[in-house]
Amino acid sequence: MSTLSPGALPISALPWLVAAWLFAVGLYGIVTSRHCVHLVGCLTVCQSATYVLLLGLGYVREAGPPVFYDHPPGTPAVDPVVQALVLTDIVVGAAVTALLLAIAIQVQRRRGTLDPQALRPLRPPPPSAE
Amino acid sequence: MTPRWRLLLLALALLVLAPAVLRVALTLPAFGAPTAALGQTVNALAPELRHVANMVAAVNFDLRGIDTLGEECMLLCAVTGATVLLRGARGEHDTARAGRLPGRPVTPRADATVLVCRIFATLTLMVGLSVALHGMTTPGGGFQGGVIAASGLLLLYLGEGYAGWRALVPPPVLVALEGGGALLFVLCAGLPLLAGHPALQNRLPLGEFRDLYSGGLMVLVNAAVALSVAGSFGLLLVEFLEETREAGDDPISDEEDR
Repeated sequence: MSTLSPGALPISALPWLVAAWLFAVGLYGIVTSRHCVHLVGCLTVCQSATYVLLLGLGYVREAGPPVFYDHPPGTPAVDPVVQALVLTDIVVGAAVTALLLAIAIQVQRRRGTLDPQALRPLRPPPPSAE
Repeated sequence: MTPRWRLLLLALALLVLAPAVLRVALTLPAFGAPTAALGQTVNALAPELRHVANMVAAVNFDLRGIDTLGEECMLLCAVTGATVLLRGARGEHDTARAGRLPGRPVTPRADATVLVCRIFATLTLMVGLSVALHGMTTPGGGFQGGVIAASGLLLLYLGEGYAGWRALVPPPVLVALEGGGALLFVLCAGLPLLAGHPALQNRLPLGEFRDLYSGGLMVLVNAAVALSVAGSFGLLLVEFLEETREAGDDPISDEEDR
């Protein structure tokens, strides 16, 4: 990307652009969200931008997977460290998403709404919320 | 704050951050030619040092093992939090009726659905087990295998309905899997410390390259992660599907924490 010029983007910039686009879309969704479940979905979109970025950072041209079962060790392989990072983060991220959705269920139960706009932390809930 | 104001605030924040982001973005390495040496060093050394074929597993369960222990704890915390938030809100009865909207007819399950779900739940469980067991040799490992195995439980729910599913999937077993897996991981990390070695030191025989048993301690850590992940996601499914039941007679009172 050091040769990045606005006129002619090299095709190799595509992964970074995809990551940036995903992150931007997710961020826009978070900022304009009117529903907590939608908010959690947008957060996972942002998260997947980091996966694209990490996997793009680890890619080596003309290289195979970092699993030396059917090709011997020493053949070119992509970076396993970023893949390990992404792998654990997908699983932990799924659990964290479940936690956020559980919080959303509790908010709905106690406040009767999931609109972040209508949620005021310090205001007592309306009596009709239960 | 209206969405318009929020967007304005975001634009301001982005304006402040833009120079830093641009500076980092312009120094990104070209796609396909990474500059980080760590990954390639792992690729060059780990097959020799640890006798494993799957470098991702080698990074996860050995070279970066302590970090994975942290991730494991995050998983445990997230699942515990979700469970605490959801548990008991609809009563603790195991075999409560599935909730339904009044006035909406309940279509009975077709026999074909039940059969297909039973077959594919078994197959999914087997695939998960296989993926977890072959973590050292082929793409896979405890994280992926555990999630696949747990998703088989969802197929069982689809086929059996809530009551039948709940009889098949006892939450105490899932809790034991989750906690036991995490405990096994902690023991794998901690026992070498007691003997005066670094944490997670690979003292077991390393086994044969490309063999089902290869990588020594990594096999044990991999199994621990598989158990823990399968238990965690199974427990999450139980807690979320409890929300589909009819509300119980004894909902917990929310009054005390107002």
